[in-house]
Amino acid sequence: MEQPHKVRVKLEHISKSFKNNSKSPNHEVIRDVSFKVYDNEFLVLLGPGRCGKSVLLNIMAGLLTADWGSVSLDGEQIKGPNPQIGMVFQKTGLLPWLTVMENTEFGPKMRGIGKTERQKLAQHFLNLVGLDGYEKNYPYQLSGGMKQRVGIARAYSNEPKLLIMDEPFGALDAQTRYNMQNEILDIAKKEKRTIIFVTNNIEEALLLGDRIILFTSCPAQIKNIYEINLPKPRDSMQKEFLRLRREISDNTDLAL
Amino acid sequence: MRVENQIENGTDSKKSNGLSRMVYLMAPFIGIGIMLILWFSASAANPQAFPNPSAVLLLLYDLLFHPLSGYTLLGHVAISLRRVCIALFFAMLVGIPLGILMGWSRLMRATVGTLFECIRPIPVLAWIPLMIMWFGIGEKAKIIMIFIGALMPIVVNSYTGIKLVSPLYLDVGRMFNASSQSKLLLKIVLPAALPTIFAGIRNATSMSLMVVLAAEMLAAKSGLGFMINRGMEAYNMTLVMSGMVAIGVTGAMLSILTNMIERRICPWNSHTKSE
Amino acid sequence: MKYSLISAATLIVFLVVWEALASHDLLVGKYTPSPLEVYDAFIFKLGNIGPDGALLSTNIIASLKISLLGFSLAVLIGVPLGLLMGWYGLFDRFVRPLFELVRPIPAVSWIPLMIVWIGVGLRAKATIIFMSSFIPCVLNSYTGIRQTNKVLVNVAKTYGASNFYTFLHVGVPSSIPLIFAGMRVALSNSWGTLVAAEMLAASAGLGYMISMARTFGRADVVVLGMVVIGGIGYIFTAIFSFVEKKVNKGGVV
Repeated sequence: MEQPHKVRVKLEHISKSFKNNSKSPNHEVIRDVSFKVYDNEFLVLLGPGRCGKSVLLNIMAGLLTADWGSVSLDGEQIKGPNPQIGMVFQKTGLLPWLTVMENTEFGPKMRGIGKTERQKLAQHFLNLVGLDGYEKNYPYQLSGGMKQRVGIARAYSNEPKLLIMDEPFGALDAQTRYNMQNEILDIAKKEKRTIIFVTNNIEEALLLGDRIILFTSCPAQIKNIYEINLPKPRDSMQKEFLRLRREISDNTDLAL
Repeated sequence: MRVENQIENGTDSKKSNGLSRMVYLMAPFIGIGIMLILWFSASAANPQAFPNPSAVLLLLYDLLFHPLSGYTLLGHVAISLRRVCIALFFAMLVGIPLGILMGWSRLMRATVGTLFECIRPIPVLAWIPLMIMWFGIGEKAKIIMIFIGALMPIVVNSYTGIKLVSPLYLDVGRMFNASSQSKLLLKIVLPAALPTIFAGIRNATSMSLMVVLAAEMLAAKSGLGFMINRGMEAYNMTLVMSGMVAIGVTGAMLSILTNMIERRICPWNSHTKSE
Repeated sequence: MKYSLISAATLIVFLVVWEALASHDLLVGKYTPSPLEVYDAFIFKLGNIGPDGALLSTNIIASLKISLLGFSLAVLIGVPLGLLMGWYGLFDRFVRPLFELVRPIPAVSWIPLMIVWIGVGLRAKATIIFMSSFIPCVLNSYTGIRQTNKVLVNVAKTYGASNFYTFLHVGVPSSIPLIFAGMRVALSNSWGTLVAAEMLAASAGLGYMISMARTFGRADVVVLGMVVIGGIGYIFTAIFSFVEKKVNKGGVV
């Protein structure tokens, strides 16, 4: 696949610890992580659950600050939440008092964009995720998969340069998860963005990622970086796919 | 009992047995029926202490047309309600912003909040003697009393509602350009806290009814509490019971009204019945 | 840390301002005692019977006796009732309509009936207190047991547990947090209703004390009474929250 190797995001020596209380020592979550993210690539961060990956994402999104190191997007350091970064949350995080349309257009609305323009934008992405017709529904009326699709549409509607997805399909059942994986591939093809995707599922990582960064368990450090050159959409039964899967699986730390 | 073993957790109500199904359907009526029978017999035995239910209903009907101390039944209801509504209005006007500010700002919590927490343990009705000394027994005094009673739950619930907003929503807000304090408060925190604030209003409403009752029983010339008091002084238990029934019905109506309003304002809330 | 200091400072400022305003008669109405006067009244009431006819300690004990009695009854009857109503559907159908009828009627309005039925003594007041504490106990126990995790219930069933056994060993323990919350509300309700009951029909107790003090124009005793009532109420809540925390440590996994 053609990749202009332009660096969009740079993480340098990120470290983060959490203080539990004054008695127990600092809980080190991330230790000296550095990597680059290239333009329009689908980068997957893979690692055992419950350790550092989400924290790393939150640091990249500007919701948390690292103890050490820096993150930059297109040369600018990220110090706080930034409209140029869109996020899809694992728990969806749809605001329950807003309709689907109001949720989707929330970002542009907060930026002060006019009604017709932002509704056009939101509608475009709602159509893209296949939710046209549900604009006036409330989140409680939707299934898990549908809610997450709104979450994706919402992130895209904010016209971000970088999309961060924090285990977005983690809370869905297996069937819906397979569907959503295909959908996200579809969406990523139609609307090219730089995407950073976190998961703890090896198969998901291999289905979606152009590159996979494999993390150790706590504290999170980069174990290995894999470049996946298989054409998409990928066949999970294919020989090369399975070989890669075995290789990564052997290399993965078991979560405690 | 075989019937009981077939029922699980009260949610599984599919009865295969015809008899048990009948019992299930009739149960509410049987319960009320037994109570009515007990009541009627007690009243036959001691009509002075146990007013006959039919006599109570008759009296209520009568009061609809014949005034008691200047007001018909509906007149008394209206008077009590008027006091409650005025007090509730002011309690919401003052209490909701106060609770929100206390929930939002640590400084407010440390200053005004501390004072509030000192006043809070004092039961509303304990204010009555002081209120009478300060304001006498006029309308103003009663409304202020109800105001105090209603204020507490409203402030506490508004405060709790704000504090308990899920951090996830705050993150969402910050990611989607609502990171300024004012935007976060208005667009995220307030809507998220609305259901809890409504619970506070519901609590305040039932509290107001209680206070207006106590206030009217102690010192009033009109209203439902006064009606009960009159009955008590004249040893007219029928009148007392009528008053209680009237209050019960009024309370239920207010509760239904509040729920209806909440459902209009918060359509997203799949309202579960819990207190 | 800083905020605790601010809280303390606020209290001190409040007391000082109150003292200043009151001693210069700048507050509402003629009867506004200053903090110092309230303190004097406290010392006075410790040893003096007037104006209501009993020592402060006598009043406190009288009030505590009744409210705790009413409260205990409410818990002993209300909690099991709520639990049973929440678990056994048939029982619920029987009892619920009666419950819903009684619920909207504020406890205070039962007072006249109680006076006629049971007189003006200890039992009457305890019954009124009971009525006000009863409802939250039942309601919270009911809600608590209804949200028992169905998974746990099914686990018990697969091990052959009878319905009653499951009720006792799965349903009840998982309702404990809500039961305690209900008990906390019930206790503060009972304390509040007690004051009203005492004001209407009693010859001792804190509510009676402030009611009497009012008729004698002794605003300082009135405020003293309010402070004591509030203080005890606060202690109740504090004790309960403490017990709740201890009991909830295990929680439900």
